[in-house]
Amino acid sequence: MSKKILVVDDSSSVRTVARMALRERGYDVVEASNGQEGLKALDADRIHLVISDVNMPTMDGISFLKEIKRHPNYKFTPVIMLTTEAGEDKKQEGRAAGAKAWITKPFQPQLLVDAVAKLMPA
Amino acid sequence: MRIDSQVHREEPEESAQTLRETVCCDALPIWSNQVAVAKRQTEEAVTALTQRFEGIVTRIDSALGAVQQGSGGQLAAEDAKQGELHLAEVINALKSIQQSRDALANDIRALVNYTEELRKMSSEVESIAFQTNMLALNAAIEAAHAGELGKGFAVVAHEVRNLSEAARNTGKSITGKVALISAALLEIGKTNERVSVRDQQAVTDSEEHIRTVLQRFTERTQQLADIARRSSDSGAQIKDEVCESLVQLQFQDRVSQILQHVIGSMREVQELPAVAGSQEAGAEAKGHLERMASTYTTEEQRRIHRGLEAQTVAPQDVTFF
Repeated sequence: MSKKILVVDDSSSVRTVARMALRERGYDVVEASNGQEGLKALDADRIHLVISDVNMPTMDGISFLKEIKRHPNYKFTPVIMLTTEAGEDKKQEGRAAGAKAWITKPFQPQLLVDAVAKLMPA
Repeated sequence: MRIDSQVHREEPEESAQTLRETVCCDALPIWSNQVAVAKRQTEEAVTALTQRFEGIVTRIDSALGAVQQGSGGQLAAEDAKQGELHLAEVINALKSIQQSRDALANDIRALVNYTEELRKMSSEVESIAFQTNMLALNAAIEAAHAGELGKGFAVVAHEVRNLSEAARNTGKSITGKVALISAALLEIGKTNERVSVRDQQAVTDSEEHIRTVLQRFTERTQQLADIARRSSDSGAQIKDEVCESLVQLQFQDRVSQILQHVIGSMREVQELPAVAGSQEAGAEAKGHLERMASTYTTEEQRRIHRGLEAQTVAPQDVTFF
């Protein structure tokens, strides 16, 4: 059974690039456009890894990350932050909240796929 | 005079300031709405473009799959190899038949040799019969010389002559039959050799024809495989180009975030309270700009805020924690 990845981003084009790269490598992809929708997707499915933007409406990525780490089923699920934010302060905030990796946009799809493979070995 | 002139200079500046403030206040909501429209239109266009590109990549994938399946280059090459193996089996089977025919020809030649021996033996039988006849004739003459006493012997000699005559006739008959058999065997041998030569030629011709067909088949499949490979390479290149274009379209996310901040800032400016006195206004404006700077998410925004030139952002490495 292929691993399922939740991609949370308010930009449809970013979700598309991530979806295409991940599906090409055999992953199942579930999408959400903000943290709130992301939490619903976590409850509706069995997710193995989360990729999340930081700046999003309704619920931002850092708040979403904290919610994931509080979730009984997803406490240890790896989370990759995928964001335009490149500031060291913001990265450290993500690290403290439990993120496993930080990728700054624009990103090369291969870089994302490699990070996913490293955090979620087959 | 100096005071007057100062007054005259200040008056137009003050009215210009008021005019700028008035225009800005009136224009701010219009600008923010226009920027919002531009942001929305960019988002919609890039989203549609991204979906189109995704569709193109999906169709390229599907076309590449069809090209690989349709050409069947690998399978055709394997078929050609199998054909070569089957051909070798058929040729070996035909050669085996040829060998059996050669063995049959040798057997026929051996039979011809036996018939020659039989012919000699029947000639000897004939000769013995002739000599026996002569002997019986002499015996009859001698019996006649013996008179009454030789009468019995004469009967025996007569019977011996009859038997030798019968033996001679049988010998002749055997010789004739053996000659017929020998002639028939020679004819069979010749026919067999003719057929053998024809078969050998047919096997050689068939082998050559089948090899030619297989060679053409291999060439055609090779050509098809080459075309398929070139199509696949071109398709893969187009796909890479489209995927790279998709990476470039990520600018929309950055642009949207920057524009969203601009819109937000413009709306906040609209909400600013009127502050009397230039010192208080200056302090308030500085605080407002600092708050604005604290909300930036991209490096370009921070650089522009500091009066620096925004630099192109290249894809960066991943940071693992």
